[in-house]
Amino acid sequence: MREVFNRRLYGYIDGTLLAAILVLSSIGLFMIYSATYDPTLENAGPQVIRQFGALVLGSLGLVVLVMFDYRTLLNHSVLLYIGLVGLLIYTLFFGVERGGAQRWIDFGFINLQVSEFARVVLALTLAAFYSDQRRENRSFLDWVLGALIVSVPFVLIVREPDLGTAITLLPVAIIIMVFSGLKLKLLMSLCLVGILLTPLAWAYALEDYQKVRIASFIDPEQDPYGAGYQQIQARITVGSGGLEGKGFLEGTQNQYNFLPVAHNDFIFSVLAEEQGFLGVLVVLGLYLFVIMRSLEAARLAKDRQGMLLVVGIVGGFVFQVIYNVTMSAGLAPVKGLTLPLMSYGGSSIIATLMGFGLILNVRMRRFTN
Amino acid sequence: MHKTVFSTDRSSVRRLLRGFNVGVVLVFCFLIFSFWRFQVGQHAHFLEMAENNHQRTLNLRSPRGVVFDRDGQVLIDNRYSLNISLIREQVGDLSAVLELLADVTTVDVGILRAVVESNSHVPDYRSLVLIRDASLEQVAGVSARALELNGVFVEQIPTRYYPNDNTASHLFGYLGEVTSAQLNQFEGGRLRSGSVIGQAGLELFYNRPLMGIDGTRKVAVNSIGREIETIDEVAPTEGQSLQLTLDLDLQRAVEEVFVSSGYSGAAVVLDPTSGEVLALSSMPSYDPNDFALGVNEQTWRNLNGNNLKPLQNRALQGRYSPGSTFKIVMAAAALEEQIIDPEFKVNCGGGGTFYGRFFGCHSRHGTVNLYEALEQSCNTYFYRLGTMVDVDTINQWASVFGLGESSGLDLPHEVIGLVPSRAWKQEIKGEPWYPGETISVAIGQGAVAVTPISLAVMISAVVNGGERVTPYLFKKESRVSGSTIIGSQTLDAIREGLWMVVNRNGTGGRSRIQGYDIIGKTGTAQVISLEGRELIDGSDEEYRDHGLFVFAAPLDSPRIAGVVVAEHAEHGYIAAEMARHILEVFFAKEEGRPIPNLKNPILPAEDSLGVPSVIAEGQ
Repeated sequence: MREVFNRRLYGYIDGTLLAAILVLSSIGLFMIYSATYDPTLENAGPQVIRQFGALVLGSLGLVVLVMFDYRTLLNHSVLLYIGLVGLLIYTLFFGVERGGAQRWIDFGFINLQVSEFARVVLALTLAAFYSDQRRENRSFLDWVLGALIVSVPFVLIVREPDLGTAITLLPVAIIIMVFSGLKLKLLMSLCLVGILLTPLAWAYALEDYQKVRIASFIDPEQDPYGAGYQQIQARITVGSGGLEGKGFLEGTQNQYNFLPVAHNDFIFSVLAEEQGFLGVLVVLGLYLFVIMRSLEAARLAKDRQGMLLVVGIVGGFVFQVIYNVTMSAGLAPVKGLTLPLMSYGGSSIIATLMGFGLILNVRMRRFTN
Repeated sequence: MHKTVFSTDRSSVRRLLRGFNVGVVLVFCFLIFSFWRFQVGQHAHFLEMAENNHQRTLNLRSPRGVVFDRDGQVLIDNRYSLNISLIREQVGDLSAVLELLADVTTVDVGILRAVVESNSHVPDYRSLVLIRDASLEQVAGVSARALELNGVFVEQIPTRYYPNDNTASHLFGYLGEVTSAQLNQFEGGRLRSGSVIGQAGLELFYNRPLMGIDGTRKVAVNSIGREIETIDEVAPTEGQSLQLTLDLDLQRAVEEVFVSSGYSGAAVVLDPTSGEVLALSSMPSYDPNDFALGVNEQTWRNLNGNNLKPLQNRALQGRYSPGSTFKIVMAAAALEEQIIDPEFKVNCGGGGTFYGRFFGCHSRHGTVNLYEALEQSCNTYFYRLGTMVDVDTINQWASVFGLGESSGLDLPHEVIGLVPSRAWKQEIKGEPWYPGETISVAIGQGAVAVTPISLAVMISAVVNGGERVTPYLFKKESRVSGSTIIGSQTLDAIREGLWMVVNRNGTGGRSRIQGYDIIGKTGTAQVISLEGRELIDGSDEEYRDHGLFVFAAPLDSPRIAGVVVAEHAEHGYIAAEMARHILEVFFAKEEGRPIPNLKNPILPAEDSLGVPSVIAEGQ
């Protein structure tokens, strides 16, 4: 506890990264304002205030996670993992149902989406799991155990059902395993097996709506009012924005609701429409900066577990950003995947900020023993 | 311990991190390239798609110009009709919506389905008119269930309104949707498919000024098709209003005499000095309101299939033998060519033999001069003139009076009458002209066939000093008209004879009004030759002769001239009786008296009046 109050330690906090995160969150807030703006009422939706509240809560979470040495958290990662699995099971039985999916736990003042925190907990668990052995002597069993650690929350989240969020666990696990010595060759063969199993998954594991989404991605015109509709509209939204954009609150695709859940999944399309290609460049630049700056924390990390923790969190973040941005331009099947830092969603923003808290934590403590 | 383990493979971790970094940068480059391609490369394409998404351009139909009569009474107006329309794009379950709509409007659902099916080629976002001119009950029904009838809405459309129903229907014409052939040739491409234009009559002739310019309204709609705001609006420009020379009261009087007598036919009333058309009527008529919203098939079939051809404007398109009214031309030709003078006498013993054939007269007139011959409509006198005046001379003088030529009236589809000549016969039949044929021509029978409008021009020339006027409703067609080339002595002689027709013991006595110098000439137009009449049962109505009367008044300062053609009325005096009411109304209005009602119904011809019904050609 002594070091919690070590003021010299806080001098090592990466203020630049923190600032970039803050700027992205603020841009996100403005875009949510625009996406929920009702031109007939001339007012934005209640989501703006809620998102602001979530940002405040997330910042508190970030501060708390910066204060405690990440190694303390890693030492207790098993408890966190068990807690996560327990809450996910609880969600499956007692969760709040919305739009046909049971993903939330009602805490009275806030509905928490436990799955959003799964990435952080998984990164902690796997970083701890792979930190105690020599990298050169990994047995196949280590990878099987790692895969088991991922698959339990993965299956639970898929059951909600929330395939999109479940999939974000995979890059976290894969990145940590690769950095723990998983040979790329082995990874490739696993991927090959996965591809061979795809038809089986198509037949037994996928829900009908998921099949439709994938089919409509391959040929969006085939079903212009179904799943393909969102994709076509996303492309129109982005393309019609042009170089300089239509202006804040001026995006017709956004304002006239041609984009479903614009404030959530398609927040980046809103940005592209209203702020144009220049806005896209600025925001993508900020994301790239956040990613590279975070990876620097991994490079600077004092120990293996810190490095693994950072690359795990960054891996999930990178996957989400790239997938969501690709989807925003209608270049990927529509998944309920948020754009971290910008999309509306309390649990998402809190979990993401807590993740960055851990990254700052690792970087800050690069000189401590 | 941890530290040492970590440092051994720090270099490979760095390599992986560098790989990770490079990978992320490459993916970001790809993303930036993709956004560049969409947002800059294909911007125009996607912008258009975005506008198609949220912008609808609605056509705002311009009201056509209002048409007034000479006193400013409204002849053709506009009203707003309510159409119930559908935008399929906004409809979820089409058949459910159609069924509910059919239910609330009590329209057969099959009709609604048929409209939708026949418009399957029209883009989904365009509105389809399901129910034209909906009743207020139907509109109320739709409004009450508006929430369930997504995509169904009520449109207000300016619609042509003819407040006087059938009155002057042929003169006004009617509207219709532009045909694909008309689309290119009309109004320099201003029309678009679905535009409504004049298809006949005044509505056609003055379509360009009357039509106005449609406006457009560009609206923004949201993803469920609800209108959010108007982006841009170009208001429609109402068509130019026209004030016609027509006198609605006189027009009504004309139609009243036809309706009360039950005759088909035509009448034209002009101001004989200016050519202004005061009334122009063709019977039977139709209601142009039936066409205002697109004529329905049943009405169209009835109008077209009717033997009486109600769509034909007989005043311009009906070709009738002028009968004895042609004697005016004969008299003028003989006098102007100095073949006779007015005192030239002929003895009528009930007919005469010319070129070896007997031609009958309807009475024994004894010795008559030109005045008396006109007064009594003595055929024998004019048969005689027919032996003296060459057919080409007759043709030439008929042209001076406007017969066999276009009147130049500002209405479309005028038919040109026929006055025979040598050249005509050679061309048509390849035969020379036989002098015996001139005998029939002399009393307006044989091949002579002229339109009522040209007869009105003829009688106008008699009273206006010999000028052939160009009748007009709105604007005079610039046409060189044969001005005064009929000698005043000739005209005086004819006028004297025509005055006696009405005011002495002539055939037109039924048009006499005490105190007014009315002149006129009756005519009976043979529908079928005497020989033909003997072959069939002559009492069949469709073979009965037409009654004609040309008239003008007052003699010294003529202000009205015209013609009444009453089909199958058998006698000119019936037409004269009809003309009397027209004249009464004219003078009453001129003098500020209340407009008189038609007092006595016009009865069919009777033999008891001393004029035998079937004796000879012409009267």
